[in-house]
Amino acid sequence: MKLASMVSAIAILTVAAAVATAGESTGGLALGTKVPAAVAKTKMKNVDGKMLSITDVTGKAGTLVVFTCNHCPFAKDWEQRIVELGNTYAAKGIGVILVNANDPKMHADDGYEEMQARAKSRGMKVPYVVDDTSGVARAFGASVTPEAFLFDKSGKLAYHGTIDDNRQEPDKVTARYLKDALDAVVAGKKPAVPETKGLGCSIKFRS
Amino acid sequence: MPMMSALLVALLAADAAPPPVRVDVAELPAIMAAIKAPGAQAVLVNVWATWCEPCREEMPDLVRFYRDHRAQGLRLVLISADDDEQRSEVARVLGALGFDGPAFIKRGNDMAFIDALDPKWKGALPATFMFDGRGAKKKSWLGSVTYDDLRRRVSGLLARRK
Repeated sequence: MKLASMVSAIAILTVAAAVATAGESTGGLALGTKVPAAVAKTKMKNVDGKMLSITDVTGKAGTLVVFTCNHCPFAKDWEQRIVELGNTYAAKGIGVILVNANDPKMHADDGYEEMQARAKSRGMKVPYVVDDTSGVARAFGASVTPEAFLFDKSGKLAYHGTIDDNRQEPDKVTARYLKDALDAVVAGKKPAVPETKGLGCSIKFRS
Repeated sequence: MPMMSALLVALLAADAAPPPVRVDVAELPAIMAAIKAPGAQAVLVNVWATWCEPCREEMPDLVRFYRDHRAQGLRLVLISADDDEQRSEVARVLGALGFDGPAFIKRGNDMAFIDALDPKWKGALPATFMFDGRGAKKKSWLGSVTYDDLRRRVSGLLARRK
Protein backbone atom coordinates (compact mmCIF):
# COMPACT_ATOMS: atom_id res chain seq x y z
CA MET A 1 0.00 0.00 0.00
CA LYS A 2 1.36 3.43 -0.88
CA LEU A 3 2.01 5.83 2.00
CA ALA A 4 -0.70 8.26 0.86
CA SER A 5 -3.24 5.45 0.70
CA MET A 6 -2.22 4.23 4.15
CA VAL A 7 -2.55 7.71 5.63
CA SER A 8 -5.95 8.11 3.99
CA ALA A 9 -7.11 4.70 5.26
CA ILE A 10 -5.94 5.45 8.80
CA ALA A 11 -7.67 8.84 8.69
CA ILE A 12 -10.93 7.24 7.56
CA LEU A 13 -10.75 4.58 10.24
CA THR A 14 -10.09 7.23 12.88
CA VAL A 15 -13.02 9.34 11.67
CA ALA A 16 -15.23 6.26 11.35
CA ALA A 17 -14.44 5.23 14.90
CA ALA A 18 -15.25 8.72 16.16
CA VAL A 19 -18.51 8.85 14.22
CA ALA A 20 -19.42 5.34 15.29
CA THR A 21 -19.04 6.36 18.90
CA ALA A 22 -21.07 9.52 18.34
CA GLY A 23 -23.51 7.47 16.26
CA GLU A 24 -24.85 5.71 19.34
CA SER A 25 -26.69 8.88 20.18
CA THR A 26 -26.87 10.76 16.88
CA GLY A 27 -27.18 7.95 14.34
CA GLY A 28 -24.21 9.16 12.29
CA LEU A 29 -23.39 12.51 10.70
CA ALA A 30 -25.43 15.17 12.42
CA LEU A 31 -27.46 17.78 10.56
CA GLY A 32 -25.39 20.88 9.92
CA THR A 33 -22.08 19.02 9.91
CA LYS A 34 -19.76 18.48 6.97
CA VAL A 35 -18.27 15.26 5.63
CA PRO A 36 -14.81 14.87 7.20
CA ALA A 37 -12.21 15.85 4.61
CA ALA A 38 -10.43 12.49 4.64
CA VAL A 39 -13.71 10.75 3.90
CA ALA A 40 -14.78 13.21 1.22
CA LYS A 41 -11.48 12.67 -0.60
CA THR A 42 -11.69 8.86 -0.57
CA LYS A 43 -11.50 7.58 -4.12
CA MET A 44 -14.11 4.98 -5.06
CA LYS A 45 -14.34 3.01 -8.30
CA ASN A 46 -17.23 4.11 -10.49
CA VAL A 47 -19.06 1.78 -12.85
CA ASP A 48 -17.26 3.51 -15.75
CA GLY A 49 -13.89 2.46 -14.29
CA LYS A 50 -12.87 5.94 -13.10
CA MET A 51 -11.94 6.68 -9.49
CA LEU A 52 -14.18 9.30 -7.91
CA SER A 53 -14.51 10.90 -4.50
CA ILE A 54 -17.35 12.86 -2.96
CA THR A 55 -15.17 15.95 -3.35
CA ASP A 56 -14.87 15.22 -7.08
CA VAL A 57 -18.66 15.26 -7.57
CA THR A 58 -19.53 18.15 -5.24
CA GLY A 59 -22.15 20.37 -6.90
CA LYS A 60 -22.55 24.12 -6.93
CA ALA A 61 -26.02 23.87 -5.39
CA GLY A 62 -25.33 20.92 -3.08
CA THR A 63 -24.34 17.26 -3.00
CA LEU A 64 -26.42 14.11 -2.67
CA VAL A 65 -24.86 10.87 -1.42
CA VAL A 66 -27.11 7.81 -1.43
CA PHE A 67 -25.99 4.51 0.08
CA THR A 68 -27.73 1.86 -1.97
CA CYS A 69 -27.01 -1.50 -3.54
CA ASN A 70 -28.13 -4.04 -6.10
CA HIS A 71 -29.52 -6.88 -4.02
CA CYS A 72 -31.77 -5.28 -1.40
CA PRO A 73 -35.50 -5.45 -2.21
CA PHE A 74 -36.04 -2.08 -0.50
CA ALA A 75 -33.32 -0.45 -2.57
CA LYS A 76 -34.69 -2.08 -5.71
CA ASP A 77 -38.20 -0.82 -5.03
CA TRP A 78 -36.90 2.74 -4.72
CA GLU A 79 -34.17 2.40 -7.34
CA GLN A 80 -35.94 3.96 -10.29
CA ARG A 81 -37.03 6.91 -8.16
CA ILE A 82 -33.47 7.37 -6.84
CA VAL A 83 -32.06 7.31 -10.37
CA GLU A 84 -34.69 9.75 -11.65
CA LEU A 85 -34.01 12.15 -8.78
CA GLY A 86 -30.26 11.83 -9.32
CA ASN A 87 -30.47 12.42 -13.05
CA THR A 88 -32.90 15.31 -12.64
CA TYR A 89 -31.12 17.18 -9.87
CA ALA A 90 -27.64 16.63 -11.32
CA ALA A 91 -28.87 18.91 -14.08
CA LYS A 92 -29.88 21.48 -11.45
CA GLY A 93 -26.44 21.80 -9.89
CA ILE A 94 -26.59 19.01 -7.33
CA GLY A 95 -23.56 16.72 -7.30
CA VAL A 96 -24.86 13.16 -7.04
CA ILE A 97 -23.10 9.94 -6.13
CA LEU A 98 -24.64 6.54 -5.40
CA VAL A 99 -22.48 4.39 -3.14
CA ASN A 100 -22.55 0.61 -2.71
CA ALA A 101 -20.79 -0.28 0.55
CA ASN A 102 -21.96 -3.90 0.69
CA ASP A 103 -19.56 -6.80 0.74
CA PRO A 104 -20.24 -8.76 -2.47
CA LYS A 105 -19.18 -11.92 -0.61
CA MET A 106 -22.48 -11.59 1.25
CA HIS A 107 -24.50 -11.02 -1.93
CA ALA A 108 -23.02 -11.71 -5.34
CA ASP A 109 -25.55 -9.29 -6.84
CA ASP A 110 -23.52 -6.49 -5.29
CA GLY A 111 -20.42 -7.27 -7.36
CA TYR A 112 -18.84 -4.65 -9.60
CA GLU A 113 -19.98 -6.15 -12.90
CA GLU A 114 -23.51 -6.48 -11.57
CA MET A 115 -23.40 -2.80 -10.58
CA GLN A 116 -22.28 -1.89 -14.09
CA ALA A 117 -25.17 -3.84 -15.55
CA ARG A 118 -27.66 -2.23 -13.17
CA ALA A 119 -26.39 1.28 -13.93
CA LYS A 120 -26.86 0.61 -17.62
CA SER A 121 -30.28 -0.99 -17.33
CA ARG A 122 -31.57 1.82 -15.10
CA GLY A 123 -30.16 4.61 -17.26
CA MET A 124 -28.01 6.08 -14.49
CA LYS A 125 -26.35 9.32 -15.58
CA VAL A 126 -24.79 9.75 -12.15
CA PRO A 127 -21.86 7.82 -10.63
CA TYR A 128 -22.50 4.49 -8.92
CA VAL A 129 -19.35 3.65 -6.97
CA VAL A 130 -17.88 0.89 -4.80
CA ASP A 131 -17.00 1.74 -1.20
CA ASP A 132 -14.48 -1.08 -1.14
CA THR A 133 -13.73 -0.97 2.59
CA SER A 134 -17.20 0.20 3.65
CA GLY A 135 -15.18 2.96 5.32
CA VAL A 136 -17.18 5.79 3.79
CA ALA A 137 -20.47 4.25 4.93
CA ARG A 138 -19.06 3.72 8.42
CA ALA A 139 -17.80 7.30 8.57
CA PHE A 140 -21.25 8.59 7.58
CA GLY A 141 -22.90 6.36 10.16
CA ALA A 142 -24.98 4.85 7.36
CA SER A 143 -26.62 1.58 8.29
CA VAL A 144 -29.47 1.01 5.83
CA THR A 145 -29.98 0.74 2.10
CA PRO A 146 -31.22 3.03 0.76
CA GLU A 147 -30.09 5.93 2.96
CA ALA A 148 -29.70 9.46 1.59
CA PHE A 149 -27.46 12.28 2.81
CA LEU A 150 -28.03 15.68 1.15
CA PHE A 151 -25.56 18.51 1.73
CA ASP A 152 -26.23 22.15 0.96
CA LYS A 153 -23.96 24.33 -1.16
CA SER A 154 -21.77 25.07 1.86
CA GLY A 155 -21.29 21.33 2.40
CA LYS A 156 -23.42 21.04 5.54
CA LEU A 157 -25.79 18.12 5.97
CA ALA A 158 -29.28 19.45 5.23
CA TYR A 159 -31.29 16.24 4.89
CA HIS A 160 -30.77 12.65 6.02
CA GLY A 161 -33.11 9.76 5.58
CA THR A 162 -35.27 7.85 3.19
CA ILE A 163 -36.71 8.58 -0.23
CA ASP A 164 -40.46 8.93 0.28
CA ASP A 165 -43.30 7.45 2.31
CA ASN A 166 -44.38 4.57 0.08
CA ARG A 167 -41.78 2.11 -1.11
CA GLN A 168 -44.19 -0.38 -2.60
CA GLU A 169 -46.61 1.88 -4.45
CA PRO A 170 -45.00 4.89 -6.13
CA ASP A 171 -48.38 6.20 -7.28
CA LYS A 172 -49.56 6.38 -3.65
CA VAL A 173 -46.65 8.42 -2.32
CA THR A 174 -47.92 11.34 -0.24
CA ALA A 175 -44.61 12.68 1.13
CA ARG A 176 -41.66 13.06 -1.24
CA TYR A 177 -39.05 13.63 1.46
CA LEU A 178 -35.91 13.59 -0.67
CA LYS A 179 -37.39 15.47 -3.64
CA ASP A 180 -38.74 18.20 -1.34
CA ALA A 181 -35.35 18.44 0.37
CA LEU A 182 -33.59 18.68 -3.01
CA ASP A 183 -35.96 21.47 -4.09
CA ALA A 184 -35.24 23.34 -0.86
CA VAL A 185 -31.46 22.99 -1.17
CA VAL A 186 -31.50 24.06 -4.84
CA ALA A 187 -33.49 27.12 -3.74
CA GLY A 188 -30.95 27.84 -1.00
CA LYS A 189 -33.43 26.99 1.76
CA LYS A 190 -33.48 24.48 4.61
CA PRO A 191 -35.66 21.40 4.04
CA ALA A 192 -38.91 21.54 6.00
CA VAL A 193 -38.43 17.88 7.01
CA PRO A 194 -34.67 17.43 7.54
CA GLU A 195 -34.67 13.88 8.92
CA THR A 196 -36.75 10.83 8.07
CA LYS A 197 -36.49 7.05 8.42
CA GLY A 198 -37.55 4.06 6.40
CA LEU A 199 -37.24 0.33 6.75
CA GLY A 200 -34.32 -1.03 4.76
CA CYS A 201 -31.70 -3.72 4.47
CA SER A 202 -28.76 -3.53 6.82
CA ILE A 203 -25.54 -2.55 5.05
CA LYS A 204 -23.40 -5.67 4.73
CA PHE A 205 -20.18 -4.06 5.91
CA ARG A 206 -16.88 -5.46 4.72
CA SER A 207 -14.72 -6.80 7.53
CA MET B 1 -56.13 -51.72 -0.90
CA PRO B 2 -53.96 -49.27 -2.91
CA MET B 3 -56.64 -46.68 -2.25
CA MET B 4 -56.46 -47.30 1.51
CA SER B 5 -52.68 -47.03 1.40
CA ALA B 6 -52.91 -43.72 -0.43
CA LEU B 7 -55.42 -42.48 2.15
CA LEU B 8 -53.15 -43.59 4.99
CA VAL B 9 -50.16 -41.82 3.41
CA ALA B 10 -52.22 -38.66 2.98
CA LEU B 11 -53.40 -38.79 6.59
CA LEU B 12 -49.87 -39.30 7.87
CA ALA B 13 -48.59 -36.44 5.73
CA ALA B 14 -51.34 -34.16 7.01
CA ASP B 15 -50.48 -35.14 10.57
CA ALA B 16 -46.79 -34.37 10.01
CA ALA B 17 -47.41 -31.01 8.30
CA PRO B 18 -46.93 -27.96 10.51
CA PRO B 19 -50.14 -26.21 11.53
CA PRO B 20 -51.00 -23.22 9.36
CA VAL B 21 -49.76 -19.89 10.69
CA ARG B 22 -52.11 -16.95 10.63
CA VAL B 23 -50.41 -13.87 9.19
CA ASP B 24 -52.33 -10.60 9.36
CA VAL B 25 -51.58 -7.59 7.18
CA ALA B 26 -51.75 -4.79 9.74
CA GLU B 27 -50.87 -1.18 10.46
CA LEU B 28 -49.23 0.18 13.59
CA PRO B 29 -52.25 0.34 15.95
CA ALA B 30 -53.09 -3.35 15.50
CA ILE B 31 -49.46 -4.34 15.87
CA MET B 32 -49.01 -2.31 19.06
CA ALA B 33 -52.24 -3.77 20.43
CA ALA B 34 -50.80 -7.27 19.97
CA ILE B 35 -47.57 -6.24 21.68
CA LYS B 36 -49.31 -4.59 24.63
CA ALA B 37 -52.21 -7.04 25.05
CA PRO B 38 -52.49 -8.18 28.67
CA GLY B 39 -51.43 -11.63 29.75
CA ALA B 40 -47.70 -11.71 29.01
CA GLN B 41 -44.83 -11.31 31.45
CA ALA B 42 -42.44 -10.28 28.66
CA VAL B 43 -42.89 -9.63 24.95
CA LEU B 44 -40.27 -10.05 22.26
CA VAL B 45 -40.90 -8.24 18.96
CA ASN B 46 -38.86 -9.16 15.91
CA VAL B 47 -38.94 -7.29 12.58
CA TRP B 48 -37.80 -9.44 9.68
CA ALA B 49 -38.41 -10.39 6.04
CA THR B 50 -38.38 -13.70 4.19
CA TRP B 51 -35.64 -12.50 1.82
CA CYS B 52 -33.43 -11.13 4.62
CA GLU B 53 -30.69 -13.69 5.24
CA PRO B 54 -29.61 -12.55 8.72
CA CYS B 55 -33.31 -12.52 9.67
CA ARG B 56 -33.78 -16.09 8.45
CA GLU B 57 -30.59 -17.17 10.24
CA GLU B 58 -31.71 -15.89 13.64
CA MET B 59 -35.37 -16.92 13.37
CA PRO B 60 -34.91 -20.54 14.56
CA ASP B 61 -33.23 -19.24 17.75
CA LEU B 62 -36.03 -16.74 18.35
CA VAL B 63 -38.77 -19.34 17.90
CA ARG B 64 -36.91 -21.92 20.01
CA PHE B 65 -36.43 -19.38 22.79
CA TYR B 66 -40.12 -18.52 22.63
CA ARG B 67 -41.14 -22.18 22.81
CA ASP B 68 -38.80 -22.77 25.74
CA HIS B 69 -40.21 -19.82 27.71
CA ARG B 70 -43.82 -19.34 26.68
CA ALA B 71 -44.99 -21.29 29.73
CA GLN B 72 -43.35 -18.56 31.82
CA GLY B 73 -45.41 -15.91 30.05
CA LEU B 74 -43.23 -14.99 27.07
CA ARG B 75 -44.97 -13.72 23.96
CA LEU B 76 -43.19 -13.41 20.59
CA VAL B 77 -44.65 -11.03 18.01
CA LEU B 78 -43.19 -11.39 14.51
CA ILE B 79 -43.52 -8.50 12.08
CA SER B 80 -42.55 -9.04 8.48
CA ALA B 81 -41.53 -6.23 6.13
CA ASP B 82 -42.44 -8.39 3.14
CA ASP B 83 -44.93 -7.24 0.54
CA ASP B 84 -48.52 -8.41 0.96
CA GLU B 85 -48.06 -10.86 -1.91
CA GLN B 86 -45.50 -12.74 0.19
CA ARG B 87 -48.07 -13.60 2.84
CA SER B 88 -48.12 -17.31 2.01
CA GLU B 89 -44.31 -17.44 2.04
CA VAL B 90 -44.23 -15.69 5.44
CA ALA B 91 -46.72 -18.28 6.74
CA ARG B 92 -44.72 -21.13 5.21
CA VAL B 93 -41.44 -20.04 6.82
CA LEU B 94 -43.01 -19.56 10.25
CA GLY B 95 -45.07 -22.73 9.97
CA ALA B 96 -41.98 -24.77 9.20
CA LEU B 97 -40.49 -23.54 12.50
CA GLY B 98 -43.65 -24.41 14.42
CA PHE B 99 -44.42 -20.82 15.37
CA ASP B 100 -47.90 -20.32 16.79
CA GLY B 101 -47.92 -16.72 18.00
CA PRO B 102 -49.04 -13.43 16.45
CA ALA B 103 -47.52 -12.76 13.02
CA PHE B 104 -47.99 -9.67 10.87
CA ILE B 105 -47.03 -8.15 7.58
CA LYS B 106 -46.53 -4.48 8.35
CA ARG B 107 -48.31 -1.83 6.32
CA GLY B 108 -48.36 1.94 6.63
CA ASN B 109 -45.91 4.67 7.50
CA ASP B 110 -42.38 3.44 8.25
CA MET B 111 -41.32 6.33 10.46
CA ALA B 112 -44.19 6.00 12.91
CA PHE B 113 -43.59 2.25 13.05
CA ILE B 114 -39.84 2.61 13.64
CA ASP B 115 -40.22 5.30 16.30
CA ALA B 116 -42.92 3.32 18.10
CA LEU B 117 -40.48 0.45 18.57
CA ASP B 118 -37.34 2.51 19.22
CA PRO B 119 -36.62 6.11 18.18
CA LYS B 120 -32.90 5.22 17.98
CA TRP B 121 -33.57 2.50 15.42
CA LYS B 122 -32.84 3.61 11.84
CA GLY B 123 -34.93 0.89 10.23
CA ALA B 124 -32.36 -1.75 9.26
CA LEU B 125 -33.44 -5.39 9.39
CA PRO B 126 -33.34 -7.48 11.46
CA ALA B 127 -34.23 -5.81 14.75
CA THR B 128 -35.61 -7.25 17.98
CA PHE B 129 -37.21 -5.44 20.90
CA MET B 130 -38.11 -6.56 24.40
CA PHE B 131 -41.10 -5.17 26.28
CA ASP B 132 -42.21 -5.98 29.81
CA GLY B 133 -45.70 -7.18 30.63
CA ARG B 134 -46.91 -3.61 31.02
CA GLY B 135 -45.82 -2.68 27.49
CA ALA B 136 -42.72 -0.72 28.49
CA LYS B 137 -39.71 -1.26 26.24
CA LYS B 138 -36.71 -2.68 28.05
CA LYS B 139 -34.16 -3.57 25.39
CA SER B 140 -33.40 -3.28 21.66
CA TRP B 141 -31.13 -5.44 19.56
CA LEU B 142 -30.46 -3.52 16.33
CA GLY B 143 -29.01 -6.35 14.29
CA SER B 144 -28.93 -10.10 14.72
CA VAL B 145 -29.73 -11.76 18.01
CA THR B 146 -28.90 -15.21 19.40
CA TYR B 147 -30.52 -17.57 21.88
CA ASP B 148 -27.86 -16.63 24.44
CA ASP B 149 -28.48 -12.89 23.95
CA LEU B 150 -32.14 -13.48 24.67
CA ARG B 151 -31.49 -15.79 27.60
CA ARG B 152 -29.28 -13.20 29.28
CA ARG B 153 -31.88 -10.42 29.12
CA VAL B 154 -35.34 -11.95 28.79
CA SER B 155 -34.98 -14.80 31.24
CA GLY B 156 -34.16 -12.30 33.96
CA LEU B 157 -37.29 -10.33 33.24
CA LEU B 158 -39.40 -13.50 33.31
CA ALA B 159 -37.78 -14.65 36.55
CA ARG B 160 -38.41 -11.32 38.28
CA ARG B 161 -42.06 -11.46 37.32
CA LYS B 162 -42.72 -14.97 38.59
